[in-house]
Amino acid sequence: MSNLTKTEIKKERRFFLNTILKTGLVAWVASVIYPIARFLVPPKTAELNVNNIDLGLVAEFPKNSSKIVRFGRKPIIVIRKESGDFKALEATCTHLDCNVQFKKETEQIWCACHNGLYDIEGKNISGPPPKPLAQFKVDILREKIIVSKMDLS
Amino acid sequence: MMKKSIWLYSFLIFSLLFGSNLSQEDACIACHVEVDQELDDEDKIVNHFESDIHIKVGLSCADCHGGDPNAFDDEDEAMWENETFIGAIEKSEQLDVCGKCHSDPLFMRRYSTDVKVDQVSQYKTSGHGISLAEGNDKVAVCTDCHNVHGILPVNDPRAPVYAKNIPETCSKCHSDDTRMFESGLPTNQFDEYKNSVHGVALLENGDIGAPACNDCHGSHGATPPYVENVDQICGTCHSNNKNLFQKSHLNDIFLSKGFGQCEACHGNHDVEKPTDEFLGWSSESACKPCHEDSHPAKLMASHFYQTIDSLKIGLIQAHDMVEKAEHKGMIVSELLFDLEDAKKTLIQTRTNIHSFNNAFVDSGAAPGFVSIQAAINGTNVLLDEVIYRRKGLLAFSLIITIFVIAIGLKVKEWKRIRESEEV
Amino acid sequence: MSIYEWMNERIDLDSVKKFALKKRVPIFYGSVWYYLGGVSLFLFMVQVFTGILLILYYQPGAETAYESVKFIISRVEFGWLIREVHSWSANLFILFAFFHMFTVFFAKAYRKPREMTWVTGMILLMLSLGFGFSGYLLPWNELAYFATKVGSDIAGAVPVIGDFALRLLRAGDEVSGATLTRFYGIHTALLPGIFTVVLGIHLILVQVQGMSVPPEIEKIPEEKRKSIPFFPDFALQDAMAWLIVLNLIALLAVFFPWDLGSKADPLASAPAGIKPEWYFMFMFQTLKYIPAHVLFIEGELFGIMLFSIGGLIWFLVPFLDKKANDGIRTPFWTWFGILLIIYMIVLTAWGYLT
Repeated sequence: MSNLTKTEIKKERRFFLNTILKTGLVAWVASVIYPIARFLVPPKTAELNVNNIDLGLVAEFPKNSSKIVRFGRKPIIVIRKESGDFKALEATCTHLDCNVQFKKETEQIWCACHNGLYDIEGKNISGPPPKPLAQFKVDILREKIIVSKMDLS
Repeated sequence: MMKKSIWLYSFLIFSLLFGSNLSQEDACIACHVEVDQELDDEDKIVNHFESDIHIKVGLSCADCHGGDPNAFDDEDEAMWENETFIGAIEKSEQLDVCGKCHSDPLFMRRYSTDVKVDQVSQYKTSGHGISLAEGNDKVAVCTDCHNVHGILPVNDPRAPVYAKNIPETCSKCHSDDTRMFESGLPTNQFDEYKNSVHGVALLENGDIGAPACNDCHGSHGATPPYVENVDQICGTCHSNNKNLFQKSHLNDIFLSKGFGQCEACHGNHDVEKPTDEFLGWSSESACKPCHEDSHPAKLMASHFYQTIDSLKIGLIQAHDMVEKAEHKGMIVSELLFDLEDAKKTLIQTRTNIHSFNNAFVDSGAAPGFVSIQAAINGTNVLLDEVIYRRKGLLAFSLIITIFVIAIGLKVKEWKRIRESEEV
Repeated sequence: MSIYEWMNERIDLDSVKKFALKKRVPIFYGSVWYYLGGVSLFLFMVQVFTGILLILYYQPGAETAYESVKFIISRVEFGWLIREVHSWSANLFILFAFFHMFTVFFAKAYRKPREMTWVTGMILLMLSLGFGFSGYLLPWNELAYFATKVGSDIAGAVPVIGDFALRLLRAGDEVSGATLTRFYGIHTALLPGIFTVVLGIHLILVQVQGMSVPPEIEKIPEEKRKSIPFFPDFALQDAMAWLIVLNLIALLAVFFPWDLGSKADPLASAPAGIKPEWYFMFMFQTLKYIPAHVLFIEGELFGIMLFSIGGLIWFLVPFLDKKANDGIRTPFWTWFGILLIIYMIVLTAWGYLT
């Protein structure tokens, strides 16, 4: 048996309901604002679209060597010739899609799978590859190596 | 003499005046066009010759057959009484007739600098050439492969010696049991080749990087490769496999036993895409035919099989997981990259086993396992995200449900108050 | 002093309050349909809100659109949520708009004095279809590209102005990056502007004229009708409905995300079974199965004429169904509506089952 009168019970219920209502409102508002607030903060990488990549300082890329890196979703091979100039080509062999490699002695590009050979410009010169390797542009900007897509013109 | 010249000149003037084509062609063609009309299609000479590369570069019938191409309407002067006239060329004469030009570098230079002029000398070393020299004219000579009057250059897709057409051209004789009977040579090569990985690649998929008969046997110098040379021939394309094998301990053993290094396990014409069962110790093992169960080869073969199988299974598992994440709505393109890397390592490992060296194979396979793990880790992150989202949804739904009920009760309360006030 | 009192001293908020408190919502068997307009409004607001959030990251342009959407759903925190809510809410918005329109139609609420409300409502429907069509292209994925191509081809089939209309729509002869830019401008600037104005008129009309009731209830004098005040009762009930719909959207966003698919490639051939969005499906399916020639008119043209004339009749129904003004039943129009719904549902279903 409760000591409270009917009105008092009603008052308590009303208070209880008001509390739930207020809490509910706050909770709902928070559950909407939270994702939006997180959304507004930009992620670390500003864009997904890869139009160019930064390969670091020129001085740190040894001459007569090569690196295979990702350009967006494609592998590319970046070569620094003995002369110091850079060359960037797609790394996927045009025959059956193996990754090519750089042969320093002859400054040619070779595919291990079926002995396909390309010259330093990416032109297919012997073996099965039917087409040359696609070219990429290399620029040096403030001592950094920037690889980007070749202009279509 | 004079009389004939007068006839000749008047005929020329006559044809010039009346401007017919005859004056452009030579006498041989002028006459043989008419002869052709009485022949069956396959025997007709002139229309085949029209597409011939020789006439395209300005040569005439007489350059091979001799005779006088300007002796119009005079059969005797054109052919029989002409001292250079050879007529139909016999098989045994072909080498001389074709070689007259094709072995002469100065002559051939008129049409193409640096063109090959070793066809005849190569031919003489070939199986065909040696047999021909012994008096057997049932072998292939120039026209059997290149055609007689409609000779097309090698890179013309209609030529019988164009890469894709070569297997059929060779098998015209080499698959014919009757024709090959005396030689004692087998006739199943084309059948085997057709179903081989090279045959399918060339004939069905149109990949002219794949070898036809001449790429392994030579064209003019066609001969079966010697056992010691097999690896050079396969190694022209499969250089990694060749290099690794030559450095392995099996190379000398195979040679000493007279086994072709590649051929012993992979076959020649019927070379199939090797399966991973070549390794291991099942019935398809390539090692079992020579080695007893007690031989250490069994351990090595089993280890190779294990490594490759683990990579394969890991790849399949990772792929399934990535697909699952994709179905749940996540973007997986970055992970696909890891799977690609792993696949490339798998291919590399299958080549690496030709070293028959455990340490080498293991170090080559290691990056593959790393890539697979990266893909799996990435997928787990995505799947965790999926669970996080669902939990978030649950929390949100709970909040809304409570909130909505609370509002409903509040409305009811106000309604009650209003109704009691209205009374 | 409260903010209200401060503002009331400067602008007459009290009369606004009085006017607002006067609004009542009739309660009868058909009251539940009153929610539909409000839900449509809510969904529109969700669209504007999520749309603005998306614009903060979306990059229009053939080389960047797809990648930016991919970026939003894979890299931006809760980007997937905003995008999925926007996609689902768009579809629900059109669904509820149709639902709202049909309940108004069958209640014949379009009759005098509410003809303008009907007409503005129809304009809003057309605009929302425009929103759907233009927005669909923006991710620049394969399906969107071809759906847009097919859809705009139909615009070209209109006689006389067809080619001009096509070029105007596509910003060129083909669907290209220029089309994307144009659709972006239409979707984020042109249509929102027009929609807001027409929506404002539509809502003001509803506020000023009050809720429509069936003729038998109209006969009862207003004071005697059963009703509840809009503020706070119905407004809170509206809020409840809106929250439930929001929950539904969240559920759909988490469990049924829209596939981004692959990037549009104008040089690739159309994938098999290209379909427009569901709200265009019935028209698409009809055009597909109209015979090549009907009498002397080309099939596609005949279809377009049919839709145009049908649409016009529907638009003008308040002026055609005059008898409804006097509360007389007009079963012809009721059946017209029923048959129309059946036709739309059957052809949409057919389009998806094949």
